[in-house]
Amino acid sequence: MRWWPRNLAGQMALLIALALFVAQAITFSLQLRERRQFALAQVTGQAATRFADAIERGGRSQGERGRVWPSATNPIPPGVPGEPAVAGNLRDTLAELGVQALRVETGLAPLRPDNPLLRRGPPGRTRFLLANADELTLAIERPDGGWLVQRVPWVQRDQSLAWRLAAQTGILFVVILLPVLWAVRRLSRPLGDLTRAAQGFGRGEARPVAVRGPHDVAVLIGAYNALAARVTEMLDEKDRMLGAIGHDLRTPLAALRVRIESVEDDTDRARMADTVDEMNRTLDDILSLARLGRPSEPPTEVDLSALVDAVVEDFRDLGQDVAFPETDRLTLRLRPALMRRAVRNLIENAVKYGSEVAVSIEPGARAVAVVVADRGPGIPAERLGDVFDPFTRLETSRNRDTGGIGLGLALTRAIVREAGGDVTLTNRHGGGLAATITLPR
Amino acid sequence: MTSGMGDQPHLLLVDDERSIREPLAVYLTKQGFRVTQAGDAESARMRLAAYAIDLVILDIMMPGEDGLSLCRHIAATSDTPVILLTARAEETDRIVGLEMGADDYVVKPFSPRELATRVKVVLRRLSAGGTRQHAPESGSYGFAGWVLKSGERALVDREGVSVPLSTGEYNLLLALVTRPRQVLTRDQLLDLTQGREAAAFDRAIDNQVSRLRRKIEVDPKTPEIIKTVWGGGYTLATEVVRL
Repeated sequence: MRWWPRNLAGQMALLIALALFVAQAITFSLQLRERRQFALAQVTGQAATRFADAIERGGRSQGERGRVWPSATNPIPPGVPGEPAVAGNLRDTLAELGVQALRVETGLAPLRPDNPLLRRGPPGRTRFLLANADELTLAIERPDGGWLVQRVPWVQRDQSLAWRLAAQTGILFVVILLPVLWAVRRLSRPLGDLTRAAQGFGRGEARPVAVRGPHDVAVLIGAYNALAARVTEMLDEKDRMLGAIGHDLRTPLAALRVRIESVEDDTDRARMADTVDEMNRTLDDILSLARLGRPSEPPTEVDLSALVDAVVEDFRDLGQDVAFPETDRLTLRLRPALMRRAVRNLIENAVKYGSEVAVSIEPGARAVAVVVADRGPGIPAERLGDVFDPFTRLETSRNRDTGGIGLGLALTRAIVREAGGDVTLTNRHGGGLAATITLPR
Repeated sequence: MTSGMGDQPHLLLVDDERSIREPLAVYLTKQGFRVTQAGDAESARMRLAAYAIDLVILDIMMPGEDGLSLCRHIAATSDTPVILLTARAEETDRIVGLEMGADDYVVKPFSPRELATRVKVVLRRLSAGGTRQHAPESGSYGFAGWVLKSGERALVDREGVSVPLSTGEYNLLLALVTRPRQVLTRDQLLDLTQGREAAAFDRAIDNQVSRLRRKIEVDPKTPEIIKTVWGGGYTLATEVVRL
């Protein structure tokens, strides 16, 4: 149904057009029938009168109207198409007039321009008859065996009627369609606003929609605005709460971090500092994950190769050996700080649990893959899906001495999904894990 | 350097959290600073008036008048440098803080060592006769078709595509861009870049420069933007426009 329009205005217009057409067609056929009946009655009435006249006058009509003449035999050769309806009607009318007719015959022939029938009447009439009429021969057999004959123009097809109908339908269509389209537009424009606002809300742009349109739609928009305001308020409240939690946890953490400096033993002090850092990172991750629904950073055109390169370089600066071949420039639309974090989390995991960490970018036609591969213990196949869930801990080799929890992968997945992509983990041939971020181009 | 007790720089430590303020004061005293404490903005103002303070360490989140407001007051009325302590690492806080006239910031929880290092860097910059560099990070710098946006730590090319930089690269480029056409030795560059982040300590400056060149030069083999000065160091050989 490719022709079926998808929007409200189009569907309304099409439906109205179809309904109008059907209604007009019915009216038209009724009108046509009536006209035919009328034409039939007129033709047969006149013809019967003329036959009756002619019989009264002794078999021949007079003067201008002398269109009835006698014939010894049936003037209509066999095989010529007739008009049975006219014949039947004529027979009845003649009977009413008391004219006896043994047989009533009709015969149709094309109307030629030199036909004497055309000589009567104004030129307009002549043109009309020439275009739309045939010559109908009417013959009746008298009881004495003789025939009386007359010829009349028989209007078979009236094109003007079709034209009138088309014009009528068109005018009706326009007259009805204009107010309907106006009404539909009054309906569809605020609905469009609402749709755009709802879509924008998903992307984090909270704007109230102007209340307009018919009452039902205006009420709907008002309800949406109230809903959006409430959701925004709740999100704000969540942000405020998370900020407060972050602050309240960071302060004792900061106090602890300062006090650690007075520990004499270097190893102990370093361990404690690491633990505080770890806790702080987890806190950061929790806050980021919770805030991800309303990212503050707008998406921009970013060179993905440079982004991955910068993250890798940060690891190298910290003395980690991470391989990343030089990659051609690859521009994508994303939130750079968040994506940096997603890639960083994957590399961090690889560095922590594996060795020979190698990062690569594989550009495809529709998507780009960033692969972080390591040679480590990998993850048992049945747990590959779980590790993305927040706070998942693996009991086996990937567990940390510090008791850290797996928020990094959850955050990475949330960031990548927000960007329209996905992240997957696979165990590599020959040991190790490959984490793949796929992003749409 | 104006100082009450011998050569010890006098620091004013403003934080409403005693659990942070007191041990930090102990640590900084051990590091050779004279430390005066204040628990809120009001007492900080009093102590600023009473003593010749060399540097203020200021917590942003305080009940009553907050750190940013006090920071603005200090910047407006004196030349005393300020290092902000912030609980949130969000960029907006950084920019706002530096626009307020702070010289540097550390994010809680911070290493007291790192804070001490930054205090020394800021004081050294001042005593070296250098002018105070307010808001070295805020704003954008345009050079040779590139724009370095310090707030977002992004380098943007002519077509508006953002080219992310590593922390080391970013610090180095920022140091160069804020001092165009000055010759900076490797020691100076190390000094300028390491105070900011813990990273990039033992990475050679040369390596960072060559990486930056690969990103921004048309032909990295014959650099036109970051030029090597023989026997000297590096210089940014192009005009810089603050945007």
